Amino acid sequence: MNSIGFTEVLIALSLVLLSIVVSRYWKIPVQKDMALGSVRAFVQLVAVGYALKYIFALDSVWVVLLVIMVMILVGAQAASGRVTGIRRGFVITSVAMTMGSLLTLGAMLLLGVITLEARFVIPLAGMIIGNSMNASALTVNRISADIRNNRLAIETALALGKSWREATLPYQKEAAVAGMLSMLNFMKTVGIVALPGAMTGMILAGAEPFDAVMLQIVVGYMLLCAVTITSVVALELTVRRFFTSCHQLVLPMD
Amino acid sequence: MRTSRPVLRLRNLSRRIGHTDNTRIIIDSVSFDFERQKIYTILGPSGAGKSSLLRLINRLDEPTGGEVTLEGKPQCDYSPCDLRRKVGYLFQTPHLFPGSVRDNLLYACSDLSEEEIRTLAEQSHLKTEMVDRSADALSVGEKQRVALARLLATKPTLALLDEPTSALDPAHTAGIESLIRELANQRGLTVIMVTHTPEQALRMGGESLLLVSGRLAEHGPCDRVVNYPQTESGRMYQRKELR
Repeated sequence: MNSIGFTEVLIALSLVLLSIVVSRYWKIPVQKDMALGSVRAFVQLVAVGYALKYIFALDSVWVVLLVIMVMILVGAQAASGRVTGIRRGFVITSVAMTMGSLLTLGAMLLLGVITLEARFVIPLAGMIIGNSMNASALTVNRISADIRNNRLAIETALALGKSWREATLPYQKEAAVAGMLSMLNFMKTVGIVALPGAMTGMILAGAEPFDAVMLQIVVGYMLLCAVTITSVVALELTVRRFFTSCHQLVLPMD
Repeated sequence: MRTSRPVLRLRNLSRRIGHTDNTRIIIDSVSFDFERQKIYTILGPSGAGKSSLLRLINRLDEPTGGEVTLEGKPQCDYSPCDLRRKVGYLFQTPHLFPGSVRDNLLYACSDLSEEEIRTLAEQSHLKTEMVDRSADALSVGEKQRVALARLLATKPTLALLDEPTSALDPAHTAGIESLIRELANQRGLTVIMVTHTPEQALRMGGESLLLVSGRLAEHGPCDRVVNYPQTESGRMYQRKELR
């Protein structure tokens, strides 16, 4: 495969123009979004490309950690924007995502599966944080909605002498599954329905397919671990918001 | 003359909600002694704080002032879970958990024997074969009986019933009322029941408390509270000017 430069990108832009023409013909009102989105993607990705080049050249642990923390905070902010029905969702999503991402990356580094090099850690962190972001938002939204919608059931359990944890157990299970569902589905269909990004990227870059597959398996396991930790932490922090230390249900933002 | 120690004592019990500039009084300095093995009905207009008072006794809500004493011990000396097993609470609309009637009884107390399950069912006027029936398949009246049996499974000393017949037709209402009276006698329970109909208070007998705007406006034998009120609030309630 030829190396891709600005010329090839400009040629590929013809596909965006084709999309705009097709959508215009079918009167789908997305031409402005398509044009702006294409420009935005170009600018963002080029900027990230230069930034990564600089960061990889520095190869400093502190810079890597700083980049990861910035990615987590930006991701947590985006996730909390999708959270409804609970105050200070950012605290929940940022703590959950930090724990999910750092524990997973830390375990992989300690076990020697990956090395502490910016060119490995940052792309992997990006994948982990992206998945954790979705998991935290889905988990928080699901458990908040379930607690609000099942007030009578929860208070019935509390009135029978159950703790808040026992009273919300069925909803906790469902919310945790909701947070992990896309990852679980991905694990089931990977390689059959779609070839995942990391693997495809490596193959396109000329790596041996088997090496690409091995990396993808590691990435898949890492994402599963990160999503699980993020969902569980988000769940724990969210449920606690709804109860006092005396196991009384309080609905925030009422 | 009251001789025995009250099972439940409320002293200046209060609950306010909201912040300093926008406070709403829900319960206002209620003091009362509830004796063992008696039936009490709580009357009052809508929004008077009847259900809120029960929630404070069960500690589903936290009082902002005053004290609740259960069997001589302050409410906060019990763990909330232990307290709630001693003070059963029946909601206006019964909620049964997924599964059978037996599952619901075992949810309240996991070590119930087969004999105890049968006794609870019988005492709650449930046919024995109903024990294995799915909770979803029951009528509202049957669900309320199961909810009562489930409340009894924790062996409470006090039963708080929040308008337990409001969703029932007259035939089921009469059935539940007689069941509550029976249970109070058989099991030596103290029953505190919220009702919005003075007629039901008269049918239940015992004592009545009239709450108006969160305050205890009147209390005494139900006949006197309903038919011969001593206070202006009581007379206004009798004339249906407060409902």
